[in-house]
Amino acid sequence: MADTREDMQMDMQEIEQETSPSDVFMAPSIHKPDILTGKSYSHFSPIPSQIADDMSKECVLGVDEAGRGPVLGPMVYALLYLPIELQQSLLADTHHFNDSKVLTPQVRSSLMRKLCTRDTDLHASCGWATRLLSARDISANMLAPNQYNLNAQAMDATIALIKEVLAKGVNVKEIYIDTIGRPETYQKKLERIWPTIQITVAKKADSLYPVVSAASVCAKVTRDAALDVCYEPYQTSTENEDAVATDAKGEIVWGSGYPSDARTSTWLKANMDPVFGWGSECRFSWSTAKELLEGKNADVNVEWPAEDDGNGLRMTDFFKGEDGDELVDWFGMRVTEEMEVF
Amino acid sequence: MLEARLEQASLLKKVVDAIKDLVQDCNFDCNDSGIALQAMDNSHVALVSMMLKSDAFQPFRCDRNIALGINLGSLTKVLRAAQNDDTLTLKAEDAPDVVNLVFEATDSDRISEYDIKLMDIDQEHLGIPETEYAATISLPSAEFQRICRDLSALSESVSIECSKEGVKFNCQGDIGSGSIHLRTHTNVEKPENNVEIDMTEPVSLTFSLKYLVNFCKASGLSTQVKLCLSNEVPLLVEYGLVNNSYLRFYLAPKIGDEE
Repeated sequence: MADTREDMQMDMQEIEQETSPSDVFMAPSIHKPDILTGKSYSHFSPIPSQIADDMSKECVLGVDEAGRGPVLGPMVYALLYLPIELQQSLLADTHHFNDSKVLTPQVRSSLMRKLCTRDTDLHASCGWATRLLSARDISANMLAPNQYNLNAQAMDATIALIKEVLAKGVNVKEIYIDTIGRPETYQKKLERIWPTIQITVAKKADSLYPVVSAASVCAKVTRDAALDVCYEPYQTSTENEDAVATDAKGEIVWGSGYPSDARTSTWLKANMDPVFGWGSECRFSWSTAKELLEGKNADVNVEWPAEDDGNGLRMTDFFKGEDGDELVDWFGMRVTEEMEVF
Repeated sequence: MLEARLEQASLLKKVVDAIKDLVQDCNFDCNDSGIALQAMDNSHVALVSMMLKSDAFQPFRCDRNIALGINLGSLTKVLRAAQNDDTLTLKAEDAPDVVNLVFEATDSDRISEYDIKLMDIDQEHLGIPETEYAATISLPSAEFQRICRDLSALSESVSIECSKEGVKFNCQGDIGSGSIHLRTHTNVEKPENNVEIDMTEPVSLTFSLKYLVNFCKASGLSTQVKLCLSNEVPLLVEYGLVNNSYLRFYLAPKIGDEE
């Protein structure tokens, strides 16, 4: 998995940065029942008052992602749009939006809170949306016979989000996107869909364009909160089992969810069902998970029978295997033990 | 030590040709009674069972039970080097790494020799119980091949119904339907064209034509083919070979295809 490899190289500090704070802001983009059942969904904020008052107002839109590399939890795509003239002044100068990886979890959380609170300048001028791709759907798509890879899933999520915002009547003039794969090809693809919009696809767009930075904050905070939600069922179950042993309440034992995080790999090892692996929060298509489940040291080797055309019966339904010791079949049984009875 | 000499290489050529599309790798189990093979296709819907009795070989010698794990694709490649009427000798040690094939031309002194590397094949062996079938139909193998081929153009499956009136092969497809009726038929001059139906109770079963067409690749082995049917039991398609040797195919019936 070339895509995840870059994330493997994180040092401890980055892991700290990636770990969601225990008091992460539960944004309205968190739909608990969907997350717990492993469903993917989209969330759209209402159109902000400044734009709603004058739908012809020219807007700029940024898209970014969070949670591409982790083995646990969903991947979140987020977009944010606002009137073009406010991009620099409101986002960069007033609120110091920056790449979500540079901002501390606390700052990200409070920025998101402002964005979602009525009567703030951010709420009045910025609209946003998120698409949450659940770990279950990501791995199901990646492991399907005709593979639907992560990049394609990511692109489709992005395109679907933008389409929906345009359908609401927002007059988007410029789009900035952090790249997926090669910027040129991605940009061409998008320009073919929206020929009249000025589209910029760039590497590290989240540190170059304030609107992408703001989108990355939406994505990151949603991802963090969603990961917390994924953990809830495990938290209650461990508490019931052994109330004393749980380390500091609220602590998430599985850490950041990145394969390189020792807490994540330890948790995966300790909580693996030998047959079914983990719950819907885990990306089974990640090599970390695959190797644990199917690797050489797997506890149980499960052979999932190949599916047939549905109405067929098999030979093994009629004829039984000749179970017996092969050597016995060749040479026959020993009789000495029975002899001793006499 | 195994040494088995076939008068005609064509026998093994035809057998391998008939089964190589169903089974990729399989064990040839050799013991003093002959050489046997049993294997299922990947989806476990069909089973091949071959028995070449020691009488089919001249001479036949097998001191110890050995299993020769052979890739049928490799075997096909080597058998292509044999002429149909070459004599073929199979040889193997008691704990063999390779099986040795010698082809001797009948009309010249040409001798060719090939070794095929063996493989370890872990194969599930199924016990096939002796079954009293409700209906046994013998018909020319070319006729059966034609029926399967013609109907496979219309549908994926065929129902075989055997009753007092005879046997009916029936299929329903997107473009239409087709059916072929056969009655008992005796041809004194050409007994290979006989159709014999031996029935104790009526049966009706549905099978995948894809597999039947595949089985029919064995038509060249025998002028007649025997179909044995009982309700809720796999179909047996048997091609008889010399000296009670046989090539049998079993096919699981389809269910829920009636309505």
